[in-house]
Amino acid sequence: MTRFLQFAAGLAFAAVATMPVAVRAEDPTDVIDYRKLVMKSLGAQAAAMNATLQGKAPAENFATHAETLALVASQALVAFTPKIEGGDSKPEVWAKWDDFSKKMKEFQAATAEFAKLAQSGGAAAAQPKLQATLTCKGCHDAYRKPRG
Amino acid sequence: MTGLVKFVGGFAIVAAMAMSAMPLVARADDKDVIDYRENIMKSLDAQTAMLGMMASTQVEPVDLISTTRSLALIAKQAQHSFDAKVLGGEAKPEIWANYADFKKKMDDFVVKTAEMEQDAKTGGLPVVMEKMVDVLTCKGCHDAYRAKK
Repeated sequence: MTRFLQFAAGLAFAAVATMPVAVRAEDPTDVIDYRKLVMKSLGAQAAAMNATLQGKAPAENFATHAETLALVASQALVAFTPKIEGGDSKPEVWAKWDDFSKKMKEFQAATAEFAKLAQSGGAAAAQPKLQATLTCKGCHDAYRKPRG
Repeated sequence: MTGLVKFVGGFAIVAAMAMSAMPLVARADDKDVIDYRENIMKSLDAQTAMLGMMASTQVEPVDLISTTRSLALIAKQAQHSFDAKVLGGEAKPEIWANYADFKKKMDDFVVKTAEMEQDAKTGGLPVVMEKMVDVLTCKGCHDAYRAKK
């Protein structure tokens, strides 16, 4: 019996240890507020980076925007992992979690790759991948409530 | 008189030629400059608020490293976003009237956020919390240089 308990405890520990990292909060409002802040950062940095590519803002800031986007993309998947409906999120985020999380992981990987290109080769190297990287609309159409 | 007209005309032609020889780059107009610095400030504000939620234990500090790194990067973006004297948005004219002071505060902010990024890596949230009041001196700058909403 003791052995069984030890085994069960070990199993429980392993299950917890292998769970994906998520933002956990006592209050659901905090989870919603937090992911709104992540999305606000993402929107603002994407707009700022586009401005650097269009000659509307200092070109030397391009690579730091690309790196910031990659960092924030890594925050985004974590922010949606708790199933807490509300804010601008459609319930489909969690109803179709496999698809949503796949898209988020792809976004994370694409922004990381984009940031590397920006760092090593500047805008000339990274810009051809811009459209394939910032796929915001594809995800928002499916998973964000339309804004009034 | 004719000589003066010829001189002025010639001057205009030379000026036009000089302008046409200028490189054809897209130039930011005032609205672009204001939009850009507002986007930087928005992301600065959002990442700061996230760090604040971690510090007040509203959320677990799983993004501590990425948030402090982001803040250090965004501080660098902010450092030169106000170099162009473009009034508007929430920026007070005092920014450019006292530019040496403003710039010093921005430079300090870049140094301190970079230090905080290192603190996050080496000491985690407790060390970041000890120092964040001294690092995130948003209010000091906003009181002097941001117009009230």
